[in-house]
Amino acid sequence: MKFLDHLEEWFIAFLMAAATLIIFVAVIHRYASGLPIPVVQDFLLRLNTSWAQELTIYLFVWMAKFGAAYGVRTGIHVGVDVLINRLNTPLKKKFILFGLLAGASFTGIIAALGADFVYELSGTSSTSEVLELPIWIVYLAIPLGSCLMCFRFLQVSWNFARGGELPVHDHAHVEGLVEDAAEGRQ
Amino acid sequence: MNALIIFALLIVLMLSGMPISIALGLTVLTFLFTMTDVPVQAVALKLFTGIEKFEIMAIPFFILAGNFLTHGGVARRMITFATSMVGHWHGGLALSGVMACALFAAVSGSSPATVVAIGSILLPAMIKQGYPKSFGAGVITTSGALGILIPPSIVMVMYSVSTNTSVGKLFVAGVIPGLLLAFFLGLTTWVLARRKDYPRMPRSTWLQRWQAFRESIWGLLLILVVMGGIYSGIFTPTEAAAMSAVYAFVIAVFVYRDLRLVQIGKVLLDSASMSAMLLYIITNAVLFSFLMTSEGIPQAMAGWIMDKGLGQISFLLVVNLLLLLAGNVMEPSSIVLIMAPILFPVAVALGVDPVHFGIIMVVNMEIGMCHPPVGLNLYVASGITKMGISELTVAVLPWLFTMLGFLLLITYVPQLSLWLPRLLFGG
Repeated sequence: MKFLDHLEEWFIAFLMAAATLIIFVAVIHRYASGLPIPVVQDFLLRLNTSWAQELTIYLFVWMAKFGAAYGVRTGIHVGVDVLINRLNTPLKKKFILFGLLAGASFTGIIAALGADFVYELSGTSSTSEVLELPIWIVYLAIPLGSCLMCFRFLQVSWNFARGGELPVHDHAHVEGLVEDAAEGRQ
Repeated sequence: MNALIIFALLIVLMLSGMPISIALGLTVLTFLFTMTDVPVQAVALKLFTGIEKFEIMAIPFFILAGNFLTHGGVARRMITFATSMVGHWHGGLALSGVMACALFAAVSGSSPATVVAIGSILLPAMIKQGYPKSFGAGVITTSGALGILIPPSIVMVMYSVSTNTSVGKLFVAGVIPGLLLAFFLGLTTWVLARRKDYPRMPRSTWLQRWQAFRESIWGLLLILVVMGGIYSGIFTPTEAAAMSAVYAFVIAVFVYRDLRLVQIGKVLLDSASMSAMLLYIITNAVLFSFLMTSEGIPQAMAGWIMDKGLGQISFLLVVNLLLLLAGNVMEPSSIVLIMAPILFPVAVALGVDPVHFGIIMVVNMEIGMCHPPVGLNLYVASGITKMGISELTVAVLPWLFTMLGFLLLITYVPQLSLWLPRLLFGG
């Protein structure tokens, strides 16, 4: 389990960094190849970076699907809790569980639909426009990501039902503030 | 009829407290399975193609850039600079609070983080100088919301994605209203401080100002990288966002040295999960607006409103009330993603400029962050000041009324939002 957690974290952080670097390099390349430096310009013009945009989109879509699953584990997906916060504790607990299970069933259904969709695509020879990757591999993000997300929802509801704490994400976390101020936020 | 069922289902699911993205998705699935014959297969495809746009990718990049600079060190530099500029007037520290919030919020892109960063440094200093706690809390809570109006703004990217309005124009359009709101908040602070005779700071010398400026300029240049890059056409908005992320990384690690290289992984992970959460809402909101469009709901609503003879003025008033109400229960991105596709066609049919309408929505979101009962900024401020929500509600009132007045001004004087983009982009 710990292994899966770390893999997930490394994977999405890596996708984020990779996408940023790719766009950065592509932009630098676009302007650098306009500079009239003899040998360098010839070399740069021979490089083709038209795939950068498409690759970035795919990296981010994968990051979005797996990052959403990570978010379930850290409690970043928030909802409207004005109403249920006014309920008494046992009733509120039931509503929270209902919400978590609704999340699990939605992502479960999407995983099934996505798997079916990808299975049909894998029979065709359609590819992405620039990179010419088989499209079903690209779309594999939907069933895989949704599956993981469904698992995370079930995991969180299981822990919560057995009396555990609900993960809560702190939207206002700031690094590098003085100690006493950080305590004040508790 | 169908419209009623869709909305009723969505509202019930949302009020049960489940994540907004899930509520949206389940509404769409329930409707598709029971009431129409749109192939469910189309749903799976939409889940992917919904975010398969290069423009949307500006969001993760802006979040990453903001997270690199969301650091106490950056906040301290902004405060020093602001204090050296405006500290010698009435209510000096409070005024620098407004200015520092505006600067930090623009760079970090997060309102709650701004309240925490600026608030936890500035509030103790204000109390030491003899300001009442509620005064400082009121200033910081409301000024912290300035960030989503001053570019680069993620909420504006959301609006542009759901209505196909140009991000560049929206960013430029936000500049004047952003500065104006900062000015009004500052004015309110100054008037109150003058009446109560709150302490002033010694005037700084120009040398001190120059030094403070040199310290903070590296962070502020981020805004210039984005705006200059988009305006001059060197970058597309998404490229500008990626460049600003790289720029923020260099500044945070090598110039300010606030971040050590080992901390980079954490920043990447936090930004990725924040972006993934927003992208997940976007995908499901795209599904939802796909359902709405295939049922012809926005068009029907536009027709109905035109039939009623509701003019621009009353429509915009209704929109403002609706958005302020929604601001009570949801965070800005979700509101924009759900409401913009519904309201936008009506606004356009009534002749409201798309860019102006975007600015109206953003100002509403700003007020929603700090008005009771559940503005996010209020909660965060209540955490750092240890004041109750009702106590804080009273504390923010003067600034809240200023913001509401400002909203009316922005709504009915479109030139405030449209003059600069027209000047720069023509049209």
